[in-house]
Amino acid sequence: MSILRSISRRKALRIGAGLAAAAAMGAPAILHAQTRTLKITTWGGKWGEIMKATVLPAFEKEFKCNVQADQAFPFMPKLQASPRNDPLYDVLHTNSNEQWGALTEGLVVDKISVKDVPNIVDVFPYAVSDKIVGVSIFTSAIGLGFRTDKGLAKPTSWKDLADPKLAGARGGYIIPVNSLGQAHLMMLGKVYGKGLTDLDAAYRALEALKPIKLVDFTGQMEKMLLAGEVSMGVIHDSGVYRYDGTNQPVDFAIPSEGVLALEQVLNVTPGSKVKDLAFAYIDYMLRPNVQKVLAEGVWYSPSNKKVKLDAKYDAKLFTTEAKVAQLIQPDWKWYNARKDDIDARVTKILRG
Amino acid sequence: MAWLITPALLLFVLFFVLPFGVMAVMSFFSANPVSNPNAVLTTRHYERFIEDSADIFHDALWATLRIGLVTTIVALLIGYPLAHWMARMQSRLGHALVLMAVIAPMLTGIVVRTFAWMTILQDKGVINTTLMSWSLIEKPLPLMYNEFGTVLALVHIYVPFMVLTLAGVIGRIDERLEQAARSLGAGRLRAFVEVTLPLSLPGILAGSLLVFALSISAYVTPSMMGGTQVLTLPMLIAQQVGTSFNPGFAGALGVILLLVSLVIIVAYNRILARLSGERGLA
Amino acid sequence: MTATLPINRRPFDAGQTAYLALNAALLFFLLAPIAVVVVFALNPTPYISFPPVGVTLRWFHKFFAGADFMNALYLSLWTATCVLVLSIAIGGSCALALARGNLPGRGWLTAFFMSPLMLPAILTGLALFQSYLLAGIGRPVWGLILGHTLIAVPYVLRTTLAVLYNFDRRIEEAAAVLGASPTRVFFEVTLPLIRPGVFAGGVFAFIVSFDQFPVSLFLVVPNGETLPVVLFNYMKYDLDGAIAAASMVSILLALSVVLALEKLIGLKTHVKL
Repeated sequence: MSILRSISRRKALRIGAGLAAAAAMGAPAILHAQTRTLKITTWGGKWGEIMKATVLPAFEKEFKCNVQADQAFPFMPKLQASPRNDPLYDVLHTNSNEQWGALTEGLVVDKISVKDVPNIVDVFPYAVSDKIVGVSIFTSAIGLGFRTDKGLAKPTSWKDLADPKLAGARGGYIIPVNSLGQAHLMMLGKVYGKGLTDLDAAYRALEALKPIKLVDFTGQMEKMLLAGEVSMGVIHDSGVYRYDGTNQPVDFAIPSEGVLALEQVLNVTPGSKVKDLAFAYIDYMLRPNVQKVLAEGVWYSPSNKKVKLDAKYDAKLFTTEAKVAQLIQPDWKWYNARKDDIDARVTKILRG
Repeated sequence: MAWLITPALLLFVLFFVLPFGVMAVMSFFSANPVSNPNAVLTTRHYERFIEDSADIFHDALWATLRIGLVTTIVALLIGYPLAHWMARMQSRLGHALVLMAVIAPMLTGIVVRTFAWMTILQDKGVINTTLMSWSLIEKPLPLMYNEFGTVLALVHIYVPFMVLTLAGVIGRIDERLEQAARSLGAGRLRAFVEVTLPLSLPGILAGSLLVFALSISAYVTPSMMGGTQVLTLPMLIAQQVGTSFNPGFAGALGVILLLVSLVIIVAYNRILARLSGERGLA
Repeated sequence: MTATLPINRRPFDAGQTAYLALNAALLFFLLAPIAVVVVFALNPTPYISFPPVGVTLRWFHKFFAGADFMNALYLSLWTATCVLVLSIAIGGSCALALARGNLPGRGWLTAFFMSPLMLPAILTGLALFQSYLLAGIGRPVWGLILGHTLIAVPYVLRTTLAVLYNFDRRIEEAAAVLGASPTRVFFEVTLPLIRPGVFAGGVFAFIVSFDQFPVSLFLVVPNGETLPVVLFNYMKYDLDGAIAAASMVSILLALSVVLALEKLIGLKTHVKL
């Protein structure tokens, strides 16, 4: 068993001589003065497996460094609690909404220039748009997943989720803690009201969706669909397509009003002591060969235009300018500023 | 003997008082003062809770206390018979087996336990599919994603704590007292109600206190079993910590929860001390 | 325990049967979810479904083959054992001090030492995390162990205090009268008699540490995660039988520890006063 310890020597607030002594005891000896360490965050599941098995070891070998990948979600409170000049992570991998929140707290940089990450020149415009903080390396599309064996027609509109026949058999997310739920809420504003920022229309539409089963994360939604607990639910395409080939009666639909982007965004912390390594990592993750492995492993749409996916992936994922143009990117800065009020309001509505 | 308290005191001061002192102090700041130079002193986190403009914070506190109380009572009703049986059991093997059966739920692990309950309670779960196949019900019963499911799962986790606490106390009650009552003509039930039950009161109070304290601080289980129909204060705290970048508000909520709990505990301890002291038996 | 009254010889004892039936039903309630976990661990479908469609060992395979899982299992066991020892030592001595030490403000002190139980562990975890970072010590394993100990001590304290408060001091006085020194009285009379309380507390401490999640969430480091953390993260992406297999293994392992403890220390008092 290896337990990598992070080295931290700061002359900061010390709580009492006792703790200083304990710290002296506990602080590990300076190891690997030659090998630098890059601290990143990563998802678990299949993504994590691929990262740990192939992607990260290859990076470590090429750049002669050590990568410490934290899988214990949530990352934001940990990053927030760590000192600014010695952050817990050098590279933060999370969704757009959290990146924007991190930016507000000064935890990440705003834009990444093509000087630092050359491969940026090859990405689709959405990956570095003004709705993005950092750079998006992959995206999936948030739409409707549904069961094909319940006699349902393939949904064509977001409004199909509100079908009275689906009462108690539709699925959504606990909005305060899940970005798909938040994106869906904004979509309701667009579908039933004046646009993504029409919260009043969204709240009314949410009320009309009751009764609805709510879960914390997409893995649970996947299982609800597979088990038949719900016949239709808000989910990203990756969550449905990954069961391709397993004969499960589930499919994904792109509603006519559009799909929302669920971007996988990488960003760098301003206080990072290995910024060059951090940028090199982001550049590495944008390489076509790396993008291909991950995209096909978990059914994410790669941001690099130059990636050539195998036919079956290429058919369903968003790999051309035209397809990518369908992705709607919400204004997370706007949403985060109102998050507390929105959370309270939706909790009240959905509590019944 | 008093000096024996030193290790505990040291541990608690360093690892409990100081960190919580830090957190309580931070609940009076608008942001993390160590990392954010713009942080100012403010009481707005507490004001936010008291004002409760969206009406959910006070509800969360009541829900927390209510779920705690119900869980405690149900755990007591379930735990007492089991504890009595276990404490009075003669066979060492039987005792060991029951002990293992009682402890096993505690060991399943927080994640798996919830999924086990999902399997049993959800619309396509064991109970509903069985009842529907026997044509006893037409639509699935809503057993999950509400307070019922939450209390059920919490009771399941905490009954072992109740049982182990009670079994110790009941085990120490001299059986001959009950037998003496029986030999004087009291029926089994009466002997139990008038002899054993009062003598086990300290155990009842200790066990209830423990289960209550635990259930008002639980948040993983209510989150997974309650959907949004259940929002307790710990769940709110977890949301604020995990997704809302509000450690100040979370800290304030924690302070409030701690104060409420301390009041309840001190009151309980007073009652407990008085009742134990009044026993007056040899 | 001396002889009891003769067992009731009536042919059908309604009361006794009802009592046993009630307890059997309650045991069923406790064990039903575990039965479900067993089924889940052996069911081939990669999600929870009922009724089961078969038997397979692939989830156990997946669990034992996963380095993540095994490392985490080892760390959890190791941590829980350290916590067991530490919390018995610290909690036991604290209980003795509170019960016998004539300390002022005993009620408040007791409430103080119990307070970790009442606080949502996520706050405890966050507070400790922030303090560790402020102190510049990072997140060492001993920090994790002490964090767990903090949460475990109240249990040991509670159960030991319960035994001490009900303690008949005359036994100690008798031993002293018969010539034993205070130390000898302590080690040969007091300690053995409070053993059941200490044992019960120790069982709690071990289980609480082994199953601890929110505090661990903040205090573990990559590649140094405890089993509940690994399982929770795994579950977010893959809700398959591997977690059930992990659970079965945990239950069996932890039960063996508890049984071993029972042999060593013993829950049931065989000395009645």
